[in-house]
Amino acid sequence: MDESAAETIPLKILIADDSDSDRLILKAILKRLGHRVVDAANGREAVALFQSEAPDIVLLDALMPSMDGMEAARHIKKLSCERLVPLIFITSLTEPEDLAGCLEAGGDGFLSKPYNRIMIEAKVNAFNRMRLMHRALSNQRDLMHERNRQLLKEQHIARGVFDNVAHTGCLNAPNIRFHASPLSVFSGDVLFASPRPAGGMLVFAGDFTGHGLPAAIGAMPVAESFYGMAGKGFNGADILREINQKLVRILPKDMFCCGVMVEVDFALNQLNIWNGGLPDMWLMRSPTERSSLPSRHLPLGILSPDQFNADMETVRSRPGDRLLLMTDGVLECTDGEGQVFGEQGVRRAIESAGLDRHPFDALMGEIQRFTGQQKFGDDLTLCCLEMVEEAGQVVLPDAVELSTLAGPTQWRSVYELQDSTLGEFNPLPLLLHICMEVPGLRRKSGEIYTLLSELYNNALEHGVLQLPSEWKYTPEGFDRYYSERAKRLSRVKGHYIRFSFHHDLMAWGGRLRVVCEDSGEGFDFHNHPVLQAAEMAQSGPRYGGRGLALIKRLAKSVQFYKKGNRVEVVYEWFF
Amino acid sequence: MPIETHRSRDGRSLTIKIEGRFDFSTHQAFRDAYEHGGRDVSGYVVDLSDATYLDSSALGMLLLLRDHAGGDSADIVIEKCNNDVRKILTISNFEQLFTIR
Amino acid sequence: MVDKPHLDEEALAELQDVMEDEFETLINTYLSDSRDRIESLKKALSDGDAGALAHTAHSFKGSCINIGAPRLGALSREVEKAGQDERLSDAPPVLAAIEVEFQRVTDALHTLMAGRAG
Repeated sequence: MDESAAETIPLKILIADDSDSDRLILKAILKRLGHRVVDAANGREAVALFQSEAPDIVLLDALMPSMDGMEAARHIKKLSCERLVPLIFITSLTEPEDLAGCLEAGGDGFLSKPYNRIMIEAKVNAFNRMRLMHRALSNQRDLMHERNRQLLKEQHIARGVFDNVAHTGCLNAPNIRFHASPLSVFSGDVLFASPRPAGGMLVFAGDFTGHGLPAAIGAMPVAESFYGMAGKGFNGADILREINQKLVRILPKDMFCCGVMVEVDFALNQLNIWNGGLPDMWLMRSPTERSSLPSRHLPLGILSPDQFNADMETVRSRPGDRLLLMTDGVLECTDGEGQVFGEQGVRRAIESAGLDRHPFDALMGEIQRFTGQQKFGDDLTLCCLEMVEEAGQVVLPDAVELSTLAGPTQWRSVYELQDSTLGEFNPLPLLLHICMEVPGLRRKSGEIYTLLSELYNNALEHGVLQLPSEWKYTPEGFDRYYSERAKRLSRVKGHYIRFSFHHDLMAWGGRLRVVCEDSGEGFDFHNHPVLQAAEMAQSGPRYGGRGLALIKRLAKSVQFYKKGNRVEVVYEWFF
Repeated sequence: MPIETHRSRDGRSLTIKIEGRFDFSTHQAFRDAYEHGGRDVSGYVVDLSDATYLDSSALGMLLLLRDHAGGDSADIVIEKCNNDVRKILTISNFEQLFTIR
Repeated sequence: MVDKPHLDEEALAELQDVMEDEFETLINTYLSDSRDRIESLKKALSDGDAGALAHTAHSFKGSCINIGAPRLGALSREVEKAGQDERLSDAPPVLAAIEVEFQRVTDALHTLMAGRAG
């Protein structure tokens, strides 16, 4: 301690002794050592001087009239609070119990009479060192408290900023149950959910390696990509590619993010899932029928964009099915003896859920029972998603208010995709973006997205690829449909899908005409039940049945031309 | 020492053996092991026969080693993992990046 | 019984060194203090207050040893012990010896100071 040398002399020393001559001697000795001395003739004076003079060290005679040394010591120790002011008893007492009494009263040591200059000097120096060490430790502790307080404050602010970017989206939807610690972002866990413009949901759970600020910083671009892209209609694979590419660029080599992406389609009753490094997800179809969906990919932020595989696995589901996803924290929970909860714990909890218990509650309950804690660590995230009827799902609200008429009102645009691009590129976000430049359409982004995606999917799957939609409605056909889709896509040649947009401003609002034309064979639209039906009824498993019904419901008019490979949709919006 | 290294007779291969917990506490030692492993080393063997535990920061260290050893062209074998360790490597699909045996 | 010297020359020499100009003040303070203490001892004895006797003798003993009057210190110790043991009847002869010894110490200290001044 460098400061000790500078601090040793002069010290302010309070002495108290009722013997005037003894006091004179002690005072003289201490002054000779270079210290400043304040003196008292009894305990009461000593306590008063201690308050007014704030000495560094106190030397007290044990036996004094008018409050003896012991009592004065007790007062002084109380007054010094956190500060360590060494208190040395000067005494010619020799009985062990008397000496013990001095220590009990708060004395830090003894100095015996008669005085010995060398002993006095040694004692004062020794206790001064102790005082300085205590002060240094207290300062460090105070500094640490202060730093910690600041850190917590900063985390709080950072959390606020983070929440603005990485809001919980639609995690509060009635078909989602989840547990995520409020400060989990600093433990590296994230959980996001967003409704998709054309219906359905996207859910992402992630677990960054490492803790604290680095993990939180990594989480920001993930949140931004997820919510930004999900709202624009990008699919799960697009978003995964974007997140991976960003993380590879910004994270140090040894940091990455384990994650799952779930694309939920309530209408088709299917889940598209991607699991890179998180524990098995569980799809529960009934209390006894369940399957695990293990990680099949490397975590995000490791592979370069050209190596990254964002292929999602398609899983058929039924209303009422539940998907349980979790981060490592669930498996790593420990009981009092350090045993981990593990996969067995999860399996046990799910199996015990039975008929009447929600698997989320069963798992949470089992973790609580296992850890013996009501509150868990920050890095435990658990989410359970239930498949529901389309009607019960959340839809994007008309989020943006119509504020001004700024933006294009009279315009045309043609966009054509050809051959291999048909299989590789999803044009919907781009097309949606063009339309969203019109403020009046922006309010209707969900409807526009639905229209465009139905038109595009019909044109691609039934027009260009000539896939019969009946296949999709049987479990065997479902797999066949998707494997055939992939096969045919890879062989597409001489094909196109062309979108033409034409927007006009009207006195009452605006009119968007969308013509979608493809190079396929078309279909017999003259005899199509949905197009013939006066009532907009669910048409059953026929070609484009659901899609056409949806388009018909949203649009002012739907007209097919040529051999059925050209369709014109008129959509109107109002001020 | 939780980390021991030895080079093959021809000096081309460096074996790094980790004992006990392979986690953040071994970060510096693991780095030192491959950074000071010698210049003409062309292949690495990470021997986990005595590793009892592996966490995500250990996975990060393996990625650092991979980067050090040439990224996509790195020749790294991770061997003799116990079941728990193997499981962690499998969940993260690290067999796509390393030869695990 | 008490075979200590009247004055501890070495202790006094050191005191002179430490106190410098204040040495005389110290001696005078000690002497007047001691006169008060001897009066207090007498009073405690006549009051039959063994506790006060022991307490005063204890303090007196301390300052005698500090000033370099070991024999007086030893006599005070005997009174302190008598007080502690509630043997008040043993105290009067020792107290008398203290008065004699104190006179002796006073004279010796005066001589010492006179020599110092000269």
